[in-house]
This record gives sequence, structure tokens and C-alpha cells, in this order.
Amino acid sequence: MDIETQLLYPSDQIILGIMIFIIMFGMGASLTLNDFRAIGRHSRGMLIGFLSQFGFMPLLALGLAIILDLSPSLAIALILIGCLPGGTTSNIFTYFSKGSVALSIAMTTASTVVAIIMMPLLLELYSAGFVQQIQSGMIADGSSQRDFVIPTGDIVGSLILVLVPVIMGMILRRRSPGWAKTVEDTAGFLAIIVILYLLVTVLFRHSALFLRTPVEIYAAATFIGLFGILFGYWVARAFRLPPIFQRAISLETGIQNTPVAFAIILLSFTDPILSQMLWLAILYSALIVAVSSGVTLYYRKIGKFDWEVYRNTLIHDRLFGEDYLTRYPEGFLPPRLADPSQGTIPRLLAEKSRA
Amino acid sequence: MEEDIPPHNVAELYQRSASLYEDMPAFATRRKEFEWIPVSFRELYSQGLALATGLIDLGVEARDHVGIFGDNRFEWILSDYAIQFCGAVSVPRGRDVTDEELIYIINHANIRVAFVETEALQAKIQNLRSQLKGLQEVILHDPDGTVLEGNRSFADVKALGGALRDRGDRTAEERINDIKSDDLFTLIYTSGTTGKPKGVMLTHANMVSQMQVIPIKLSCTDRVLSILPIWHIFERVFEVYTLYSGSCTYYTSVRTLGEDLRNVEPTFMGSAPRLWEGLHKRIMDGIKAAHPVRRALFHIAYFLGSQYQESLFYLRNNHLKMEPEPFWQRVPLWIANALRFILVIPWYGFFNATVLENIRLVTGGSLKATVSGGGALPLEIDRFFNYIGIPVLEGYGLTETSPVVAVRTEMDLVIGTIGPTVQDTEIRIVDLNTNEVLYPNPNLPHQGRGMRGEICIRGPQVMKGYYREPEMTDKAIRDGWFHTGDIGMMTFNNCMKILGRSKSTIVLSNGENLEPEPIELRLGQSPYIDHCMVVGQDQRHIGVLIVPNLESFREAGIQADSIDELMKDPTAHKIMGEDIRTQISSSTGFRGFELIREYRFVPDAFKVGDELTDLHKMKRHVVASKYEELIHELYSNGASSLK
Repeated sequence: MDIETQLLYPSDQIILGIMIFIIMFGMGASLTLNDFRAIGRHSRGMLIGFLSQFGFMPLLALGLAIILDLSPSLAIALILIGCLPGGTTSNIFTYFSKGSVALSIAMTTASTVVAIIMMPLLLELYSAGFVQQIQSGMIADGSSQRDFVIPTGDIVGSLILVLVPVIMGMILRRRSPGWAKTVEDTAGFLAIIVILYLLVTVLFRHSALFLRTPVEIYAAATFIGLFGILFGYWVARAFRLPPIFQRAISLETGIQNTPVAFAIILLSFTDPILSQMLWLAILYSALIVAVSSGVTLYYRKIGKFDWEVYRNTLIHDRLFGEDYLTRYPEGFLPPRLADPSQGTIPRLLAEKSRA
Repeated sequence: MEEDIPPHNVAELYQRSASLYEDMPAFATRRKEFEWIPVSFRELYSQGLALATGLIDLGVEARDHVGIFGDNRFEWILSDYAIQFCGAVSVPRGRDVTDEELIYIINHANIRVAFVETEALQAKIQNLRSQLKGLQEVILHDPDGTVLEGNRSFADVKALGGALRDRGDRTAEERINDIKSDDLFTLIYTSGTTGKPKGVMLTHANMVSQMQVIPIKLSCTDRVLSILPIWHIFERVFEVYTLYSGSCTYYTSVRTLGEDLRNVEPTFMGSAPRLWEGLHKRIMDGIKAAHPVRRALFHIAYFLGSQYQESLFYLRNNHLKMEPEPFWQRVPLWIANALRFILVIPWYGFFNATVLENIRLVTGGSLKATVSGGGALPLEIDRFFNYIGIPVLEGYGLTETSPVVAVRTEMDLVIGTIGPTVQDTEIRIVDLNTNEVLYPNPNLPHQGRGMRGEICIRGPQVMKGYYREPEMTDKAIRDGWFHTGDIGMMTFNNCMKILGRSKSTIVLSNGENLEPEPIELRLGQSPYIDHCMVVGQDQRHIGVLIVPNLESFREAGIQADSIDELMKDPTAHKIMGEDIRTQISSSTGFRGFELIREYRFVPDAFKVGDELTDLHKMKRHVVASKYEELIHELYSNGASSLK
């Protein structure tokens, strides 16, 4: 696949930039300092989440790039997606999957901060081989004016730049919770509009691109999210975390913060690599919504019972006092939930509502 | 859990719950916002047995009638437990019972032992003692109240029975074994229609049959918020069902409802139209006050919600079908709705997740569904909640039918109807004039669907009769069919639709029943009123349409040649308002909900052959339909014209 012309004109890039700013501002508006404190409370879940988010996802991206035999620039884009921190989208899907929103938010918060160090490091590590391929390609067709390297400095710069609106949002939240809520809702709406805007722009300007895009690229954009979700679920299950944590980690692993990817690609790369990378990121952000919606419906179904038990126990705790112990009738809870290590027994799980 | 045998009577049902659900909370009483006191099924059962033994010691015999005068509280349900365990019959009535009603009920039902909730009620009964010959024992619910000389405290009776049980008394168990399913479970006196209240006899079989018909399955993980008065059969059946299912009932109050909805996060509740009107108002006020961007987002979300739900209703054949829908009409509409559904779903998905979910949090966010009863739900309110994703299942029933006759289910959620009839229940639509069965009638097209008539019911929930009123019973239950007095029809997707009442009784949105005639008779004594009609079906309060007497107004110094002119005269309204207040007040013997809050002058006098019969009797349905807009206007401005 070749993209002869620019995928997005400079004017589109500016619009995209503004939208990213607002989305990240909205993300900040949804956060409070308590969310950072919550990170400490979920140390086990956080650790497992961290493992699957920064340990597994980049590896999965590398594996998919090799198996699907992607071109070097697309491979780098896929690895970039694999290294991304989580975003607010995962929190919304976790909420509707009846997972632990508190853990999801804590993971998003932590990974956004950690990403400043982890992302360049991981990108450097996993994409080294592809960088060389690009370089030798450039030398072969004589187009090389300078060496191609991963622009680590620019990436760190864009990550910090992206954090600016997040911090601004947090300040707004502190000053005026009412306004913060408005910004949060508006940003959520914009996030969808962005994806649609990008898809429609591409559709009108480069309508043939959809057809010319080989199936491997669609597969890469779908499977990076889907396998991430599946892996997160199974690893949390293997570590015997409670079901609500399993679902949160699962979605947090698979759903990445794509606005961050857009920002990095726009600020750190140049065409023709830029357009190719951007195209994969656009496809991923559209397909992950579809994949996550399907997974959410499934999680709601399988999680219905454990969620109801969890919620009921939590409310007993809230209203009858911390010393109250809910004793479900014998045989009411399936062995999986009755097992204290699964964490549905109240004390272990008393996840207080996020104040 | 142990093997489940369906109970034969309510006492057995209570026993079964204790053995199935043991230490799970059955009831929770609010002390502070985050301080609730739970009582487990096991405790409830053992306390119930102790209280029952105490009652037996006080002389309560099997099949005796025991009064409970008061509103929702833990002691209420415990009293009912005890009464059932004595094999006796509970006769409930709310805190707002009048002197006349107390005298009538206690004497008519021959009540010897009665529970009263408050000191005020205790004092009320004390004052009437000379007229309550049969009443021997009065037990006070309120643990903080002072027990009058000769009465007993709730705790004492319980302790008395507890001591007896400790010594091996097992009379209660014998009483339970002795209950027949045809025995009375409760005797409920319905609000006085023409003078005296009627005692509706409901049996254990009636109540137990209702356990199968509630459209939402509950379990140990469910929470039910209780707000409607427990002595109404509608709330009572949900409480018994909650006990049957192992869920916990949380008692709330109008004052604390908002925060209790948030903190309890109920999964189910019985509700009345008034509650939904209140919540609707709260939501809309919040939206009006919100930032324009969020207001816009809400309106988009609501629009998408309506499109999504309406197409789903059509695809599932759950749209209101008052006329037959031929195949050639359904196919293209089905395709159109399927297209609309596909077009809307991605957008709806997003807005449902971000906007509507936040709106739903007003009910706590965990509500699976709610049954609304005790009056018709206004269509806009009904639509609103179903569109934003809170399934409101409207039901229909009367005290005489214990009460559920028909209710919407998740599969049959047709807005504008009360859903299909519940299992084992037969329904007939009967022509009011000819008594001909219109539905089901094989000789009529579509079996008589779409035909209007009186709703008649035959099924396991129909009462045994009115206590000591064989004539009234025979009038209501003819050839095994209970005649409801409500006009309805069967729609083409087999849901019932209620169209009005054949009797003049007005049911307010808070469930109060009243007869308009005594009020109209009294108002008719005013020189300023020629004719009047009281309205207010399904409204919060009553209003009255008045044909004024211009002559009397002229004598009072108001020069008006027509009613139109009179309408514009503020002095006339002052005179009218004052006159209404003097005629209808608590000192002239009217109850709070019978006081007139709104009135309108009707532009033309009633005429024989139109609004009046040859005998000058008012034709209510004619007036109602002719002045539909005026009545609507009367209720559309929130403020009351008569304070």
C-alpha cells in the first residue's frame, strides 16, 4: 500500500490538533487527586495491569507486525499503538462492562504518567529492526538526505505537550466541578466526531484507499485491540483477581489512548511515513470502538451475577456499617465467587466509591 | 439452597423465606443517611413467632380480625408476620384514618386487638373508646411513644410471647399448620365510596397466586425501595414478593427519597404515577439549569433514545395497536424501522453511554425495572422514562383483585397499555348496555379486539367478596366474573388498554379514591353555581368546572352579560374562590384531598340533550370530552388558583 499524497492537509492537521487538545482537556477534567491516591490502593491490580499494558502490548504489536509482514513504517505505527497509555474511552467501556471503574481510572492515570519514560524506551527497543529497514530502503532508492531515526526527543516532547491540557483540565475540575463535567461530556462527544471526521475526510479525498488497504492492515488494527483485551482478561484471571478487576484490566490493556498517538505522529514524523502511520492509527481507533462494544456486551452478560453480588455487598457495607457481614445462603454463590481469594467476600473488595 | 416447595399460604411463605435466606437482610430501616438497621429473615421469623405467641396469649383466635393502623415501618411487617402466624387476618389502614373510618372498620370487622403506629393514633382511639365496644387490646408500634393506661407496648407483647416460647410454647406452629388456603389473609377497607367503606376479603390463595405474576425476577442480590403506603394492596404485594424472593426492602420517605435512591441503588420498586412525575420534574429542572452544551447533548440523546426505542417497539411488535395492521402495511413499515434502527444504533450507543446513563443515576443507576400502578401514568411521562432507558412497567389492578390483573413485561412493553393479562387470568370486555361479551367473541371480527366495554375478570386473584355485604358481592361478582367498573379494550397485540371508568369515582394520582357527587351536591348549594362537575382522574388534586349563575353575580354587583365577561372580572373570581372555600372545607366534613384547588368557568350553560339527560342528570363523559382542553389547561399551570 502506498499513499502517494498526504493523507491529511495541514488545515486538517490543525483541526485534529485542536480536537486532541480538547479531548485531553476533557480527560483532565474527569480526574482528581484522589485518582492518584487510588493507585496505591490497587497495587496488585495495578501491577498486573502494568505488566499487560507495557509488557505484553508492545510485544503483541511486534509479533503481529512480523506475522502480518507489515511494511516498516506501518510496523513502527503498530508498535507505537502498542506502547500507548490508556485513555478515558477505556473507563467508559469498563463502566458499562460492570468492571472496576476505580481501577480503570487509576491505571489510566498511572500509565499516562509512566508513558513519558516507557514509550520512547519501548519504541526504541522494539522498532530498531524496522528503523534499519527504512534506512536501507532510503539508501537504496537514493532518497535519503539524512539518517532515519526514531525521534525520541520529539516523542517525549509531544507526550509532555499532551499532558498540558490534562493538567489544565484537572485545575478546572478543582476550580469548578460543574464546568469540568460539561467539558468532560463535550470531549467525549468530540472523540467520536474526530474518528468520524478522519474517516470521512479520507473517504472523500482518498476513497480508493479503503479498497487498496490490504487485509493485513485491517487485521493488524483489529487484532492489536482484541488480543490485548483477551490477554488482559486471562492474565488477570490467572492471577485470581476478582471478576470486576479482570474486566477492567482487560479493557484497559486493549483500548489505547489514540489521541496521544495522533499527537506523536503529527509532531514527530514527516511524510510519507506520517500518512501511513496516521492511517493505521485512524483504522485502529475506529475498529477498537466496534471490538470493545462487542466485548462489553459479552462482559455484561457473563458479569451480571458477580456484579450484582458485588454491588449488593458494597451497599450493605455502605448502609449497615463496615462490621456488617453479608452471609449469602449456602449454595447461592458459585464456588468461584464463594472462594475468598476471588475477592467477592466483602472486606477484600470494599472498594469505596470514588469520592 | 434447599429444594423449593411453593407455599400454600402467606404464613408458610414467611417460613420458607426464613429457611431459604437465613441471615440475609429482609428489611432495613433508616436512622441517618448512611446508617440503616437491617433485620434478617431468620430474626424476622423468630420475632414474628414471639409476637404471635404474645397475641395468642392476649386472646387472638385463628381467623380473628386484627387491626393495624399505621404506615410503613418495620413493626408493621412484624405485626403482619405475627398475625399470619396466629392464623388470624390483618385489617390494615393508614395513619391518616379518620374517626368515622376507625369506628366503622373496628366495629364492622369486629376487631378485638389492634396495633396503632403513633401516640396520636392511640389518643384518637382512646377518645372514641366508648364507640368501639369490641376493642379490647391496643398495642403501640412506636418504641419511643408513651403507652396509655390499659394499652400495651409492642416490645412487651413480643417479650411476653418470647418468654412463653422459651418455655416450649408452640401454639403458633399449630396455628400455621391449620391455615387453609381459602382462609382470609387480609381484610382491606377501600376508601369510602358512597358513605361506608367496603371490606375486601383476600385469601391466602389470592396472595400466593400473585407471586407468579410479577414481571421481574428478584433474588438475594436485589434491593427494593418502599415508598408507597403498605396498607394499600399494591405496595403490600411487592413486599410479600420481596420476602418471597429473598430481597431486602428498604423503607424510605418522600423527604429522603432523593438521597435514598442514590444510596440504596434499588434494583426494583413499586411506584405510582406521582413518583415518576416528581422524578421527571427533577430531571428536567436539572437540565434547564445545566450548561447549554450539556442541555444540547441531552436533547440529542433524548431524540436518539426515542428513535431507538420506537423502532425497537415496532420491530418487536410492541407499538400501540388499536386497529388491525394488515400484512402489506406491516412489511414496509418493518423494513423502514429496521433501517432506522441500524442508522440510529451507533449514535444511540454513544449518547446512551455518556448522557442517558447519567440521567438514569437519578434512580440510583441499578433499577432493572419498576411497576407503576394505582392510576394511569401520563403518556409523556411514560414515554420519557422508557426513552431514557428506565423500563416503566405499567400494571393494572384493584384491591378486589389482590391487585395485579395485567402488567407490562419486558417482552410486552407497549406504551399506552397495561400489558397482557397475567397467567391463569381470563379477561372479558362486556358491553355496558347490553351485557354482551365483546371480547373474546368468536363472532366478531378479530375476536372483538378493539371493542370498548367494561373489563371483567376471572382468576385466582379475585377476592372472596366484600365482608358482610353479600348484596354488594353479588353485584360485583356475577357468574364468577368480577366486574371492575373500568372501561377498556384489548389491543391487536393482546395488551389491555384502559379507557376510563364507568363509575364516577375519581382516582387521584396518589391513589386516593373519591366520589365527586357529594362535593358537587354541596357546591350546587352555592347561589353562584348552576352546574358543576368535579374532575381530577389521575391528577394530583381535584378541580371543578363551573357553569356560573350570572343573576347571582349581578346581585353581588358584577355587571356581566355573558360568562365570557364574567371570566375576565377579578372580583367575580374573588367571590367564587371564597364561596368554594366556605362550601368545601374540613369544617364542612371534607377530607384534605377533596378540597378544591382549581376551577374554571365553562363558557356555555349545560343543555338538556347535550350535557344533561332529560332528567337533568349530568352526562360526565360528554362534559369531559367537550371540555377536554379546558380540563387540560386547568391542570397545565402548576400554581393553584385557590390557596
